[in-house]
Amino acid sequence: MVANSSTQNNRLQSQLIGKWWMPAIALSLGGLYLAMQFSATEGAGRESFFNVAHPWSVYVFMSSLVGLLVYGLVRHATLWRLGKDTPESVFANLPHRFKNVFRLGVAQDKVRRDRYAAVMHWSISSSIVVLTLVTAQVAIQDDTPLNFLHGSYYLFFSFYGDLFGLIGLIGVGMAMWRRYFIDFSRIRWDERPEDHLIIVGLGLVLLSGFFVEAFRIEVTELTQHPDWAKWSFVSYVLANLFEIFSMSDNQILWSHSAMWWTHVVLAFSWLALIVFTRLDHLFFAPINAFLLRTDSPGRLSTIPNIEEQEIFGVGYVQDFSWKQLFELDACVRCGRCTDVCPANLAGQPLSPMHLIQDLKGHLASVGPSIQKVGNEGGDTRSVSPISMVGEVIQDETLWACRTCGACVQECPVMIEHVPTIVDMRRFLVMDEARLPQTAQAALQNIEMRGHPWSGTALERTTWMDGLGDVPIFDGTQDYLYWVGCSGSLVERNLPVTKAVFRLLQESGSSFGVLGQEETCNGDPARRLGNEYLYQILAEQLIGTFKEKNVQKVITNCPHCFNTFKNEYPQFDGHFEVLHHTEFLNSQLQSGALKVQHELPDTVTYHDSCYLGRINGVYDAPRQILNFIPGTNIQEMERNMSKGLCCGAGGGNMWQEEVGERRVNHVRSEEAIATGANKVVSNCPFCIQMFEDGVPAMQPDEVGRIEPFDVAEILELAVFGEQDSSIEEKTEI
Amino acid sequence: MHFVVCAKQIPDPETPPSAFKIDEATNTVVPAQGFQPVLSQYDGIAAEAALQIKEAQGDDAKITVLSVGAESAQAAIKQVLAMGADEGVLLQDDAFEDGDSHTTAKVLAAAISNLGDVDAVFCGRQAADWDVGQVGLLVAEALGWPVAILAKDVEISDGSMKTTRVLADGFETVSQGLPAVVTVSNEFGEPRYPKLQQIMQAAKKTVTTMTHEDLGLDPSEVGSSGARLKLEKLYIPQSDSQVEIIEGETPEEQATNLVAKLVADKVL
Repeated sequence: MVANSSTQNNRLQSQLIGKWWMPAIALSLGGLYLAMQFSATEGAGRESFFNVAHPWSVYVFMSSLVGLLVYGLVRHATLWRLGKDTPESVFANLPHRFKNVFRLGVAQDKVRRDRYAAVMHWSISSSIVVLTLVTAQVAIQDDTPLNFLHGSYYLFFSFYGDLFGLIGLIGVGMAMWRRYFIDFSRIRWDERPEDHLIIVGLGLVLLSGFFVEAFRIEVTELTQHPDWAKWSFVSYVLANLFEIFSMSDNQILWSHSAMWWTHVVLAFSWLALIVFTRLDHLFFAPINAFLLRTDSPGRLSTIPNIEEQEIFGVGYVQDFSWKQLFELDACVRCGRCTDVCPANLAGQPLSPMHLIQDLKGHLASVGPSIQKVGNEGGDTRSVSPISMVGEVIQDETLWACRTCGACVQECPVMIEHVPTIVDMRRFLVMDEARLPQTAQAALQNIEMRGHPWSGTALERTTWMDGLGDVPIFDGTQDYLYWVGCSGSLVERNLPVTKAVFRLLQESGSSFGVLGQEETCNGDPARRLGNEYLYQILAEQLIGTFKEKNVQKVITNCPHCFNTFKNEYPQFDGHFEVLHHTEFLNSQLQSGALKVQHELPDTVTYHDSCYLGRINGVYDAPRQILNFIPGTNIQEMERNMSKGLCCGAGGGNMWQEEVGERRVNHVRSEEAIATGANKVVSNCPFCIQMFEDGVPAMQPDEVGRIEPFDVAEILELAVFGEQDSSIEEKTEI
Repeated sequence: MHFVVCAKQIPDPETPPSAFKIDEATNTVVPAQGFQPVLSQYDGIAAEAALQIKEAQGDDAKITVLSVGAESAQAAIKQVLAMGADEGVLLQDDAFEDGDSHTTAKVLAAAISNLGDVDAVFCGRQAADWDVGQVGLLVAEALGWPVAILAKDVEISDGSMKTTRVLADGFETVSQGLPAVVTVSNEFGEPRYPKLQQIMQAAKKTVTTMTHEDLGLDPSEVGSSGARLKLEKLYIPQSDSQVEIIEGETPEEQATNLVAKLVADKVL
C-alpha cells in the first residue's frame, strides 16, 4: 500500500526542488569541457589588475573589511555572552550538526520551502560565493607564485565568472520584482531602509563588475582574441554594445579605470553591510544551523534542580541562553514564521517575527548596560527600565502561542521560537503567577485532580461501559494502551477510545489499560509554563510505568505520544511509544486487522501538529484511510508539514482566545473548502476544535462536514458499525 | 495586624456522580476512590481577601490559617500558605470528629482566642460540601465579635472593617469595629495562583497541630458529643424522568393532544 497521490506529489516536488541546482553545475561542467576542447592556445590569459593604478589599495579595503567584520562580531558577541549556557552542549552530536550546516546552511533546505524564494535566494547566494572565489583566484594569481589563470582554465574561469554574475543578476531581479512590483506583503511587515540598500547595492556591484570586464575586453580581447572574449559571454555582448559609442582607446581605458574603482568601492561597501544589516545572516544562518538542537523539536528543555533556582524561566534578557540571544541576531525579518502562525492567521496578538525582533531590539538597548552593571557586580535585574515579559513582549502574545512549531519549521535561519516563548511563559506562571484565569483553572485542576478537565462528570473508566472485560495492564501484556485524560473524561472522545480498544482487541494484540490509575502526564502543565508541576507528574508517572514494567505504549493522543516519546527520556523514562494510528496501520499492513466494509466517502485529513509536523508521522494515518475501499482523501491546501494547527495546542484548549477570529474557525473553513464529508484527525483536541468550529462556519446542518478520528473511521470499516453502547448513550 | 483564615478540607465537589457513594447504614459519605479531598473553594476566596488586605497594609500584617480536620487537611492549610499566609494550625483531635457547625465554631473560636492578638477572622461563605454556611456566624457568636456575612468587598482601616455585602436585591455596605469576623462570598473574585517560590516555602513550613487539651476544651462539648444537630438520614435522591412524545400530524393537532393528555392527567 502506498501513500496517497497528493502525498507522493509533495514528495516529488520537493525532490525536484532539491535538484534544481543541478543545471547550474551541469552548465559549468559543460563549459569546462568545451574550454578544454576548444582552447586553441595555451596563451589565453590576462594581466591581473590591468590598467589599475594602485592595485595594492584593494588590500587596504580588504583589511578594513576584515577589521569591520571582527568589530561587528565582537560587538554582537559581548551581547550573546550575557546569556546562560545552553541546555545541551552545542558540541554534542557533531556529525548531525555538520550535516545541518550543509543541509540547512549551504543547501538552504528551509529557504526552499518557498519556491520562488528558493530560486531567488540560491541565485544570489551562489553568485556571491562563486564571484568571491573568482576574485580570490585573481588575488592568488597576482600575489602568490602560483600561476594558473591561463589557457583553458582561464577560459573556463571567464565563463563561470560571467555565468554566476548573470545568475546573481537574475536573483536580484527576482528580489526586486517581489519587493517593488507585486503585492507581496510579508517582506514588508518590517521593511527597513537597509533592505533597499542590500538589494539595489548588490545589483550595482554585479552590473559594475560586468562593465569593468566589458571595458577591458573591448581593449584587450575583442579584436586581438575574439575567441577568448566569447567565453566571458555577458561582458562580450556588453563590449560589443560599447563599440556603438566608438570611444577612443584612452576613453575606454579611463572608463575602465573609473568603473574598476566604482566596482571595488561598491563591492567592499556592500560586504561591509554584513556588519550593520541583516546581511549578517550570511554567517549567522549556517552557524545557527550548527547550533540547532539535535533532539526532537517536540522536546522542551528541563529546568534542572528546579527547587534551587532563584528565578523560574526567562523574565529578563540575560536569562535566555546565549544561543537564544544569538538567534535574535540571525533573524532576517522575512516574515515566513508570522505568515504560517495560526494565531496570526486568526488576527490574534502574536507574530513570531515581531516577537524575535522586539527581543532583539530590547537586547540591543539594554544589553550594553547589563554588561556594564554585571561587570561592576551590580544588580543586572534592575537595569532595564521596562520589563521584558509584560511590556516588551505582552502577556497575551505569549499565551496566544499554540506551540505548533510552524514558525520553527519555516524559519530559514533555524530560529526556535517555541522554546523561547515557553521560557517566558514559565516566568509568567512560576515566578509571577500571572496567567489567564482559564489556564489557571486547568493547571489547578491538574494539581488537585490529576487532569485538566475541570467540571467533567465522567470517570476514567466510563468509556469501558458496555465493552465487556477490559484488560488492566499488569506487566504481562506487550502494550499499555494509554487512553489519556481527553480520551476518558471528554464525552466526544469516548467513541474514539472505544474504537481504538475494539480494534486493538480485534487485532489480537496483547495489551492492557491503567483505568483509574491513569493521571495527567504533565504535557499541558509543561506547555502552559508550569515546569515544576510537569516534573512532579512526569516523575510520578515514570515511576508507575517502571513499577508496572511498561515497555511499549500506544497512546490515543498525539500530545501524550510526544511527551512519552520525546520528553520522558529527559527524566530517564525510556519507552517505545506509538500513536494509535501507527499501531493500527501496522496491524492492517500485517493483516492482523482486516477491512470488511466499503466506505464510499470523500474525507479530508487534518495533521495534528504533534503527530505531524513535530513527530513526522504523516503517512500512517493516511495509509489507514487508503486501506478503506471507497474512501478518498481530499487534502487541504495546508497539509503535512505545512498543516495548520486546530487552535488548541500549547494549552490553548483551556484558554479564551483573544483576537479577531478563532483559529478553529479558520481551520474549519479550510476543511469545509475541500468539499469533503468528513474531516478526519488523530487528536482529541483537534476533534473537539472541529466539533466547535465547523457548526460556526457551516450553520446549516444539512451537508455539514463531520469531524472524526481515524480510529472511528477504521472501526466502521472493520466492524461495519460503531460500538452499540454509544448509540444507547446518545439516545438518553 | 493579625488575621485568621478558616479553611476546610472537603471531598472533591467535582467527584463525578457515578463515583459519589453513600453508606446509608452509617450515614456517611464513602470517600471516592481516586479523588483527593480539596480545599473548599470559598475558603480560598476568604484567603484571597485576607491576603489583599495584608498586602495593602504592608509587611507588619500576619495571616494564620486554621483548619479543623484530619491529618490530610494539612494539604488544605499548605495551599493557603502557598498563596501567601504565614502560619498554619491544624486542629486535629478524635474528639473533634463528627461535629456540627456549632462544635466546629467552638473549636475555631478557642483556637482564635488562643492566638490572642487576632484582629479579624475570614471565613468562606459556606463549606462547599454541606453548604450550611453557619460556622463564620457561630465563631463570631462564640467570640462575641461583630460579623458581616456574604461580603464581596472587604477593607480594613483605622480599627474598623468595612464590607460590601451581597443581598438578594443589591448590595449593602456596613462597618464594624475590630476585632470582627467576615464571611467572604464568591463575588469577591478568584483566589490567586501561587508563585512557585511560595509553594516551595509553604512546603518547608511546619503546620502546628493542636488538640482539645491545647485549647482547654472539654471533649464532651465538641465533636459528636457536643453536636446539637443530629443527622437522621443521608441518601442520594432518586431522580426519575419519563418522556412521552405527543403524536400528531400538525403542530395544532399535537397541541390539542397535549392539552387532552394534561387534562386527563389532571395537570390542567
